[in-house]
Amino acid sequence: MAGIGGAETTAKKTRWGILNAVVVIYALFPVLWIVSLSFKSKDTLADGNFIPRSWTFDNYSEIFKTTEFVRALANSIGIALIATAVAVVFGTMAAYAIARLDFPGKSLLVGVSLLIAMFPQVSLVSPLFEIERSLGLFDTWPGLILPYITFALPLAIYTLSAFFREIPWELEKAAKMDGATPGQAFRRVIAPLAAPGVFTTAILVFIFCWNDFLFAISLTSTERSRTVPVALSFFTGSSQFEDPTGSIAAAAVVITIPIILFVLFFQRRIVAGLTSGAVKG
Amino acid sequence: MARGHRLPRGDGRAALAYLTPALLVLGGLMAYPIYQLVLISLFDYGQEQVSGGAPLVFLGLGNYTELLADKQFWTVLWQTVGFAATCVVGTLVVGAALAVLATRVRTWARTLLFLAALGAWATPAVAGSTIWLFLFDANFGLVNEVLGSTGFSWTFDRWTAFGLVAAQVVWCSFPFVMVTLYAGIKAIPQEVVEAAALDGASTVRTARSVLLPLLRPLILVVTIQSVIWDFKVFTQIYVMTSGGGIAGRNLVLNVYAYQQAFAASEYGLGATIGVVMTALLLLITIGYLRALRKSGEEL
Repeated sequence: MAGIGGAETTAKKTRWGILNAVVVIYALFPVLWIVSLSFKSKDTLADGNFIPRSWTFDNYSEIFKTTEFVRALANSIGIALIATAVAVVFGTMAAYAIARLDFPGKSLLVGVSLLIAMFPQVSLVSPLFEIERSLGLFDTWPGLILPYITFALPLAIYTLSAFFREIPWELEKAAKMDGATPGQAFRRVIAPLAAPGVFTTAILVFIFCWNDFLFAISLTSTERSRTVPVALSFFTGSSQFEDPTGSIAAAAVVITIPIILFVLFFQRRIVAGLTSGAVKG
Repeated sequence: MARGHRLPRGDGRAALAYLTPALLVLGGLMAYPIYQLVLISLFDYGQEQVSGGAPLVFLGLGNYTELLADKQFWTVLWQTVGFAATCVVGTLVVGAALAVLATRVRTWARTLLFLAALGAWATPAVAGSTIWLFLFDANFGLVNEVLGSTGFSWTFDRWTAFGLVAAQVVWCSFPFVMVTLYAGIKAIPQEVVEAAALDGASTVRTARSVLLPLLRPLILVVTIQSVIWDFKVFTQIYVMTSGGGIAGRNLVLNVYAYQQAFAASEYGLGATIGVVMTALLLLITIGYLRALRKSGEEL
């Protein structure tokens, strides 16, 4: 590993240490603050204390009592899972072709999928709105799953083909020479090698679908298919006269913490996935 | 295959079988809507036309001339450019500084740094925007508490509102730059740095004349990636300034297109803004692809 800089001195070390602490605070603090807000009771919400003076689970029990939130959570999970599964399967097939086969127009294909990844989603919102209304897909699960697949596919193809290029494909041939059937060679040799890349891609794609707000707000209109990010932005509290801050904080925690834990748990894989697109592996 | 030279079609047929599902999805869900987008942008297409109450009027380039003559469009365009530029510079400075920091600290500190960064990266944009709004809330926000400025609204003034959104955007996008550049620095062989040190180069000199040129292609890639993302910021502006600020003074192109199409039901004009935005991003992307090719990335 290349380090930038010369000899270590104590003063220098302290400076780096302080800088490190500042960054960790900048990155972590906002999330910790919302967690703290979500545990505050209604009357201590505005006290500005970082640690809640009286802890309460009311905010959580309240949002889980509303169908508005529970339904949105179910929609989010279902839609993101289905879109991820389809995008990863299609993406794996395409990336396999790109990594393993020789065919005309290959670099064009990768170029096009990059172009799609850059495409401003907002441009597709009006036409998709029109098309989905005429097909009866507006405000349904497929109505969101389809655009998610479209925008997740290029991401999947790009990340997966970077991973697949690294697989020593000769091993497949070697296994066949040792008497393995093509099926066995794939299952025993290639699949275990490819699995980490596919898994990483699935995580990235899932996060993309889970976090989307633009499609979710423009292609849904009722609880039937509204996802959590949109539900969150519509939160007004259980009654009209109530301050929704506590509920919003709790809902934000519910959609954020699982994703963060997931990402932290698979930290290495995610870093590999993020860099595969930019650094030549 | 055939006596050493490749068949002209290669594995074309097999490849087609593997690619068909992806191509069908992209063709049906990208190509057709893009065609529709361009088509809609040529018509006067509003609420009455959608409900069938008024006939469709073909305007040709009418929407485009109307848009280009609209003062608000130019204001929004420059705002978008300025806002994106601020976010890009902020993201790059923070991300690059942290990538260097990560190479300098001990393993446990680096792990902590990466965990914190990935946490910020993974936070859904809506949740992140809400968190930052609460942090800077006029009445119960911690920032006002600390600064002793309770009651000060950060989202009321045009520039503090833009600044707040930019800080949030940097918060959720620096991790990508940091992680990528860190991997880039790590990929530089230690001998190169040692050789420079042996030749008597100072730290600054080594960084400037040895590491920077080696990292240049990568820096270009993350810069253009950031430009593309920050140009398309939607959620943060939409959530944090309640759909573009008071009287739309915090609008960026993305939100402007959405507001024209959905809030004002001017689908034709909204589509026109979409086409213009796509054209702008296309230019940036072509630059990106050229940069990628230069950096030696296989396409």
